[in-house]
Amino acid sequence: MLYRWIMLLALAVGLTLDARAQQADELFDLARIQRATVFVMQTRTVGNNAIITCVGSGTLVSRDGLILTNAHNTVPNPDCPGDQLVIALTIRPGEPPITTYYAEVAQANEGLDLAILRITQDLSGRIIEPDTLSLPFVDVADSGQIDLDDTIAVIGYPGLGDEDAITVISGTVTGFVSEPSGGDRSWIKTDATIPGTMSGGGVYNLEGQLVAVPTTVPIIPSAADVTCPIIQDTNNDGLINRADSCVPLGAFINALRPARFIRPLLRGASLGLQVEKISQRAATTAASGSPEFSNLFFSPSITNGMPTTAAANLPTGTTSLYLFFDYRNMTPNTIYELRVTINDRPSRTFSLAPVRWSGGRDGLWYIGSSGQVWPNGIYEFTLFLDGIASGTARINIGAQPGEPPPSFSNISFGILDERSGSLFGLNNVLPAGAVANARFIHRNMVDGTPWTACWYYQNAPLACEENVWSPDGSDTRALSITNEEPGLPLEPGPYRLALFINNRLSTLSEFTIAGAQEGAFPLVFDNTRFVSTTRPAEVPTASAASTFSSGRMELYSTFDWELLEPGTLWTMRWLVDGTRFFEETVPWSNSRTGQGFITRLSSASGSLPDGRYTMEIIVNNVVLAEAEAAIGVGQLPIDPFAVTEGVQLNGWVIDADTGEGLAGVSVIFISDEFFVSSFVWNNDQVHVIATSDSNGYFQLDRLLEFDTRYSVLINARGYLPIASDVVRVNAETDNPLEIIIPLTRG
Amino acid sequence: MAVIEILGRDERTERQFRLGHLLTVALIVVGLLYGLNLRDGAIFATQPYNNVRAGISMDYPVAWLLDTDGDYVVRLRDMRRIGYKTTIQITLAPAGGSASNRNILDVVNISRPLRLNSYDVQAIEPYTMPDGTAATRMTYTFVDDEPNKFLQTVPVVVIGWDVLVRRGEQALIVTFRSDANTFDADLVFFERLLSSLEF
Repeated sequence: MLYRWIMLLALAVGLTLDARAQQADELFDLARIQRATVFVMQTRTVGNNAIITCVGSGTLVSRDGLILTNAHNTVPNPDCPGDQLVIALTIRPGEPPITTYYAEVAQANEGLDLAILRITQDLSGRIIEPDTLSLPFVDVADSGQIDLDDTIAVIGYPGLGDEDAITVISGTVTGFVSEPSGGDRSWIKTDATIPGTMSGGGVYNLEGQLVAVPTTVPIIPSAADVTCPIIQDTNNDGLINRADSCVPLGAFINALRPARFIRPLLRGASLGLQVEKISQRAATTAASGSPEFSNLFFSPSITNGMPTTAAANLPTGTTSLYLFFDYRNMTPNTIYELRVTINDRPSRTFSLAPVRWSGGRDGLWYIGSSGQVWPNGIYEFTLFLDGIASGTARINIGAQPGEPPPSFSNISFGILDERSGSLFGLNNVLPAGAVANARFIHRNMVDGTPWTACWYYQNAPLACEENVWSPDGSDTRALSITNEEPGLPLEPGPYRLALFINNRLSTLSEFTIAGAQEGAFPLVFDNTRFVSTTRPAEVPTASAASTFSSGRMELYSTFDWELLEPGTLWTMRWLVDGTRFFEETVPWSNSRTGQGFITRLSSASGSLPDGRYTMEIIVNNVVLAEAEAAIGVGQLPIDPFAVTEGVQLNGWVIDADTGEGLAGVSVIFISDEFFVSSFVWNNDQVHVIATSDSNGYFQLDRLLEFDTRYSVLINARGYLPIASDVVRVNAETDNPLEIIIPLTRG
Repeated sequence: MAVIEILGRDERTERQFRLGHLLTVALIVVGLLYGLNLRDGAIFATQPYNNVRAGISMDYPVAWLLDTDGDYVVRLRDMRRIGYKTTIQITLAPAGGSASNRNILDVVNISRPLRLNSYDVQAIEPYTMPDGTAATRMTYTFVDDEPNKFLQTVPVVVIGWDVLVRRGEQALIVTFRSDANTFDADLVFFERLLSSLEF
């Protein structure tokens, strides 16, 4: 009896899993994804020849020709010095891609190594109007829904060879990597072995939605090898030899850039929006020396992007670990890599393949992960800069527990309220007052232990105070810093407080002083507003406005600023209808105090689309000012073509007598609001029209939505017309759906 | 053996036969004419189009797909045609008082090669509209190629006419495009539309 129940249960579970797998198969439209996957070549013209400088994979993310890919192989840089982007499509699965279009970079974030390309011309040089394109594309999903052990499929081109057609590689999610530029899920880690040329391709969930982009940056070897083959005569000497440049392909990829970083770029590219900081003075962003890492230490957790405490050993069951370090002279072109060994054995899970630098030039950085168990062992973290080792740190996880060491942790900053003894303010941003206060937690401190508090201003030591510990009955202790000149406020700019016990770093944290003091809060940006004028010279004195009529070509905003030290990192972020489309973090390059910082919003396609626009100004992850304006109806127009859920219908129109395909026949799908009898040949009534090719084959450019009734009309001169009012598809319909339509001569 | 006796002709019967023959022929002719009329009525049947904003009215062929969503006033396409869909399109362009017809067509010709494959202007010559209005006609050819690269379509050679008429500070460009093999046969649709065009 028990055996029978077990068998029944097993059968039920099996059927459920089978049903789920079948459902996933139906949702995962591999044919569509393959057609939407493109091969991207950056080329440089030498004489009359096009030289391939860099390659990668890409994915069509809109029907009008926007392509998602990496920035390192598309945006010109010293390693990829091309001047043109060529797009190759896979016309038939299983065959190598065919060069078809030229493209340009529409949006890019070099640090995040993401770019959105826009198809602009065909290979004959003819301009392509985006509206005339109806390319297959994929839906960009919410990468936040990806979890550990989820199954993913990586799709791209594995190489440059004749046999290197689109490849699908399955894998699972093995972890996540945290960095300051993206928080907890800056990278998704996978166990899939992905060739370097698939960088820029797509990573898909079981629903066939794009959730990430496989990303790595090839490090060009000193001599050509399999990771950088020589394929062309790049120096025009008539020979292909070692004197020619190689095409960097890179090694294997183990990091995937999540889709949430894509959305702002995609939104900006699809709307053609451009933000221009007119008042921003040219900043010195070029590195003044070689990039370097220093002061590596581990922290088991982070608070507001800062380490809680420095650790050399951690207990069994540790689920989060971060390596902190200082960086100098970094640029977005710098390639960094983390190699982790556990008991001297390389760990793919915790290592990070070579990727672009996504931070600023100088500062404090971390890389680590949380939410997954770190196995016991001795970990060695080695950081590489452009392929050269640049720092190593070790930590022991699961060491025998001994006497808990003394420690400091959780430094917080603010303005001290004398009466309550509490700290007030925004923690990371303090106003330029006479004093800045800090509070930290201490544990296991023994009376008489020597400890030191060091304050730094703009990376230079400001004051160090050596102390001997004396208990006061409290779990926390407060510190403060004042200007050496009595009565003067603290200089605005970046500060750091580092605490040492027995001359070993125990914890550190950073904050920024900016703006005038308004109680405990800083007033850095003021009079932030959109203005009605369209002349930049009139912007600082123009009146504020929050609603604008449709068809506006430009939108100006302005703000005043106070006590913001040049060099302080600040962020300008723009959103339309709540979706981010622009974000840039740069060092402040204007004077400390000033008025009328002007920013212009425009659209490459002419007028700005209707919508609700928001501008935010941020320092140290704190939104210090924002302004909002509505254009037209205050809502973006709906793109009826931006739908990826539905059935892809393809088919053949044939002669019923001969069975031969009929070329040039129009298949008209009338939208669900009309019937054939009420169709008056007006384009507004049409859902989609397809025309058969020389084989009689046709493809609908637009998906048929589930559970929607369509009418179909095929009316070719010389043949009896075919009409139907009951065409309906649902989630169970074959996808893609292929049909044969015979026409009878009449 | 049968003997056939031939008697004198029966005048009455002969008249009846002749009349019957004549009536039959007449009926066939009337039937043919009626059929031709029906055919013409079906092929050349029109329906009115009015655009108050653009100040244009005309009669256009029934069952041609009407589209007003592009950078034109109206575009009409014969979707029942197999192959290249014969197209009639009306565009309005601002034209300064000192701009000649040639200036306007020059601007058209500069941008078109970027969008039309193998675009080639054949002739620019005076043209008289059916109502006697002086106009300029430009004849050109191009190769129409399917934008969907996933389909295998043989490109089609297309002949186009742009008939340019001035209206104050505007230029009205009436465009006719058809497969080069069917251009002459399709021209009648364009001529009928021009005859009904009021602007």
